[in-house]
Amino acid sequence: MSVSDVNDFIRQNRAVADQVEAFRGHWESDKHWVPRREFILRNMNDFEGELHMDQLLSLSMVWANNVFLGCRYSTELLDKVKQMAEGIEVEDAPVFKTRDEIVKQQQGR
Amino acid sequence: MGVPAFFRWLSRKYPSIIVHCVEEKGRECNGVRIPVDTTKANPNEVEFDNLYLDMNGIIHPCTHPEDKPAPKNEDEMMVAIFEYIDRLFNIVRPRRVLYMAIDGVAPRAKMNQQRSRRFRASKEGMELTEEKTRMREEVIQRGRCGTEFMDNLARCLRYYVADRLSNDPGWRNITVFLSDASVPGEGEHKIMDYIRRQRAQPNHDPNTHHCLCGADADLIMLGLATHEPNFTIIREEFKPNKPRPCALCGQMGHEIKECQGVAREKRGQHDEFADAMPVSEQEFIFIRLCVLREYLARELTMASLPFPFDFERSIDDWVFMCFFVGNDFLPHLPSLEIREGAIDRLVRIYKDVVHKTGGYLTENGFVNLARVEMIMQAVGVAEDNIFKKRREDDSFKRRMKEKRQRMKREQQGPAYLTGGQFAPHALGRGLQPDAVENARHQAYGMRMQSNRVCPQNSQTHLSPSDDGNSRGVKRKADSDDEPEPEDNVRLWEDGWKQRYYKTKFDVDVSDEGFKQKVVQSYVEGLCWVLRYYYQGCASWKWYFPFHYAPFASDFQDIQGMFSDFERGTKPFKPLEQLMGVFPAASGNFLPETWRNLMMSPDSSIIDFYPDDFAIDLNGKKYAWQGVALLPFVDERRLRAALADVYPDLTSEEVRRNSLGSDLVFVGKSHPLSDFIQELYRAQCHEVTPADVPAELCHGIQGILSLDDDPILPDKTVSSPIPMLRDIGQNSAIGVKFKDPQFAEGFVFKAVLLPGAKLPTNVLKPEDWDRRENQPWRPQLGFNPNRQQAHLDQSGFRALGHSLRNQHGGQYSNAPPPNNYQQQGNYRSPRTGHHQAFQRKRDTHTYTHTHTHSTVTSWGLGPKCYAKQASALLPKVTSTYPWQNTPAIS
Repeated sequence: MSVSDVNDFIRQNRAVADQVEAFRGHWESDKHWVPRREFILRNMNDFEGELHMDQLLSLSMVWANNVFLGCRYSTELLDKVKQMAEGIEVEDAPVFKTRDEIVKQQQGR
Repeated sequence: MGVPAFFRWLSRKYPSIIVHCVEEKGRECNGVRIPVDTTKANPNEVEFDNLYLDMNGIIHPCTHPEDKPAPKNEDEMMVAIFEYIDRLFNIVRPRRVLYMAIDGVAPRAKMNQQRSRRFRASKEGMELTEEKTRMREEVIQRGRCGTEFMDNLARCLRYYVADRLSNDPGWRNITVFLSDASVPGEGEHKIMDYIRRQRAQPNHDPNTHHCLCGADADLIMLGLATHEPNFTIIREEFKPNKPRPCALCGQMGHEIKECQGVAREKRGQHDEFADAMPVSEQEFIFIRLCVLREYLARELTMASLPFPFDFERSIDDWVFMCFFVGNDFLPHLPSLEIREGAIDRLVRIYKDVVHKTGGYLTENGFVNLARVEMIMQAVGVAEDNIFKKRREDDSFKRRMKEKRQRMKREQQGPAYLTGGQFAPHALGRGLQPDAVENARHQAYGMRMQSNRVCPQNSQTHLSPSDDGNSRGVKRKADSDDEPEPEDNVRLWEDGWKQRYYKTKFDVDVSDEGFKQKVVQSYVEGLCWVLRYYYQGCASWKWYFPFHYAPFASDFQDIQGMFSDFERGTKPFKPLEQLMGVFPAASGNFLPETWRNLMMSPDSSIIDFYPDDFAIDLNGKKYAWQGVALLPFVDERRLRAALADVYPDLTSEEVRRNSLGSDLVFVGKSHPLSDFIQELYRAQCHEVTPADVPAELCHGIQGILSLDDDPILPDKTVSSPIPMLRDIGQNSAIGVKFKDPQFAEGFVFKAVLLPGAKLPTNVLKPEDWDRRENQPWRPQLGFNPNRQQAHLDQSGFRALGHSLRNQHGGQYSNAPPPNNYQQQGNYRSPRTGHHQAFQRKRDTHTYTHTHTHSTVTSWGLGPKCYAKQASALLPKVTSTYPWQNTPAIS
C-alpha cells in the first residue's frame, strides 16, 4: 500500500478515518502522525474489538517511539513491529543516542 | 523546584534572609542520655507556632546521610527518621501544631518528571558495582514510592506520634496532623492547602508563626504565596566543598567519576574506627521570608504608576516570574537561565514595561495573558544577544579551565626531582648506572628548562583574548579528560530557531500550526503552575506534552489561548501512579499480572516501558544532565489495561490502593482531647462528622470523623519496629481530619489578612548613613535586642580580684573615650530574665535589670554609659508560661 492508497482509503471510509484520527497524540506533528496512522490502518484488520485496538495502538506507539523518539524495546517486540510496518517509508528520520550508549562512550574514555 | 541553582542565587543576592539555627544538644550523664527539655524557651530567641514537615524532604537525608553511615534496612531508616524529627522539633519548638505530610499521588503534570527520574535511577542503580550497594539502592528506590514502604512509614509515624504525645512534655499541647501517602497530593502542597484553607476561615490567627521544613527552593515561593507575615523555612545547611563520600562505594577521598571500587582500608587495629568519619554534624539554617519581603519591597517598588501600587500583588508577580526560570512541571525557556541573571532581567523588564501593561500580571493566582505576552516579547527581543553572550561566557570559562589544567601539567613533579642521567635509579637488580657525562652541560640545561617554562606561563596570562586567534594551534592533550559537549543546535549562530525546532521537535520552523500548539501548551502550563501554588491543583490530568519549551519570541497572540481547565478531574490511584512512573525493571514487587503488563509483548501498554531511551545532551557533558526522551503515558489506555487486573490484588493491596484521610492526634491534656473522646463514646453517625470547636484549638477549623482503627488512650499501641517497645501507657487520641471545605469556584485571596502585624524591619534602612552618625549594627538572628557578648557576674568578680586596688584611682572618674562606648560591647549582665521575642526595636539596646556598682572599677561603667537603661524593660504580655521563668544559661 502506498501513500496514495492510504489517502484513498481514508476518503472512502470517513467514519473509520475519523475514529483513527482520535488516536493522534497532542504532541505529534504531521511528520510523526502520518506514518503512524498508516501503521494503524494497515494492521487494523488483525485487531478486532476494543481491547485489541489498544494493543494495536500500543504496537504503533512502540514503532513510532523507536523511529521518532529513539526508544529501544526487546528485540522480539521490535522485530514484530518492524514486520508490521513493512512498506511504510519515513524520510529523514531523526538520529539519537540512547542513554546506555552515552554512558558506555563516557566510560570508555 | 527543578532549579537547584535558585537557592544559591537567592541566598547570594539576599544574604540576610539566612539565620543559623541554634541547636541545644542533649546532655549525657554517666552514660545516660538526658533528652532536651523543649518546653523551655527556644534558644533561637523566637517562638514558632506551627511546624510543617515535608516528609519526603526528610526521608532523603535520612537514607543518604552526609555525616554518618547510611541505615542498613528499613527499620533503621525509620529510627533515623524519628531522630531527625526529634532534632527538628528541638530546634523549632512549635507551640501549637506539628503537621507531617507524606507525598501522595502527584498531579499528572509532575509524573513526567518523576518518570524521568525513576527510569534514570533504575539504570544507574543497575550500574553500581558492589552488590551490597546495589541491593541497598534497590531497597531505597523501592521504598520511595512503593506503597508498602509508604504504608509502613505511616504506621511507624502513628506510633512515633503516640509515643511523643504520651511521654514528651514538649508535645503536651501540640496538635499533630498526619497526612500520609494515601491522601493524594504532593507533601508541600498538602501543607499549602492546609494553610490556605485555615486562612480563609474567620477564626484563623493572622499572626501565626509558621515554620516549614524542606530543602526545595520552591518552598520559598510557597511561603511567599501564603502572604502570612511570619513565615520561616528551615533546611539543612549546604556546605560547599565539604568532603563527601563517593556515591558509589561510600568512601571518602574521591568522587564517583574516579571510583575504582577498591575495598576500604582498615581503620584502627581491629577496624574499630570504621564508622567514625571525622566530619562535622549537619547543621540547619532558617530562611526568613519576612526579610526576603523587605528585600523585594526595595527591588519591586515602582513610582508613578498608572494604577495603585500594591506590594502583595507585586510579590505574586515576582513569584510568577521565578516560575519562568524553572519549575517541576515545565521545561524552562532556553533563553532564561538563572545563572545568567534571568530573574533580574525579568524584573527589569517588568518595571520597564509596567506602564504599557497597565496593571499586575497575576491576581490570586490567575494570569493576565495579554500582559504576560508583553513581558515575553521583551525577552524575545533580547534572545539573540542572550545566546551570543552565553557562548562567550562558556568559551571563556572553558579556556580558563584548560589553561589551568595546562599549567598544572607543565609543572611535572617537584623541582627537586632530577631528570635525565641524574634521575634516581633503584639499587641492586644487577643494573650498573653509567658514568655521568657532561654534568655541567646538563645542569645548565636543567636550569634553562625551568626558565623557559615561566615566560610561557606569563605570556598566556597577558593575552587571554588572543587565545581565540591561536585556535589554529592544536592542543591535543587538552580535552582528553572531558567529553566535549555536543551541540547540534548552536544557539549562538544565526538560524538557531530553525535548528532548534528541527532538532528538538523534528518540525520545520515554518510550521506555525505546530509552534502554536507548543506555545499554547506552555501558556496552559504557566497558568496551571500558578494556580497550583495559589489555589490548589486545577486539573489532575493536565500535563505538558513536549520535552522542550518554545522560545520567548514565539509567544504571540496568547490571550485567547487559554480559558479554563477541565473540571472534575480526579487523581490517579497509588498503584496507577506507580504503573505510570516506574520502569519495568522495578516491577518485581508488583503482582504477576501487573508485572506482565510492563514486560509482555502482548500487553496493551508495553510502549510505556522502553528498555532504553534516548538522551538529548542539549549541550551538556554527562548523561544525567541531558533530557530523557521518554514517551508520554496515555492515561486512557493505562486505566483500561489496569481495569482488567484489579481483581488480582490482595485485600491488603486494595486497601493500600484506596483513598485515605488526614489524621489528627492530641495528648490527654490538650483541650480537644475530651471532645474527641466524646465523639468515640457516642459512636453514632449523627454526631460525626463534627466541626472542630474554634476555641479548643487556637482557632483551627476542620471536620472530624471517626477512625476505623484509632489510637485511643489506655489502648496499647504496638510497635511496628522490633527495636522499639510497645506503648503500654498511651494517652494520645487520634481521629480523622478534613480541611474546611469551600464551594466550587471559591477563590482563596492572596492578601494580608486583617489584623496581621508585619514584623519589624531587619535590613539597614536606606537612609541610615544620612541620618545617623553611628555605624549600623546588623541584626543577627531573630531578636533585635539580642544580648551581645558580655561578662557575667563571675567574670566581674574575677576582674575585681585582679584589679582590687583601683578604687578611686587617678582616672577612675573619667569614662573611656567616646569610641569605646560606641562599640557598645559593654553591657552589664542580666540576671537571666528571659525576654520573649520583642516586636519593638530600639537603637540603644541596653537591657539590664539592675545597676551593678560595687564589683570592679568598671562598676562605674554601667551608670555612666547606661543613658537609657532605666527606660527599658517593656512589659511583655505573653501567652506562653515559659516566658516568666528564668532561662538556664
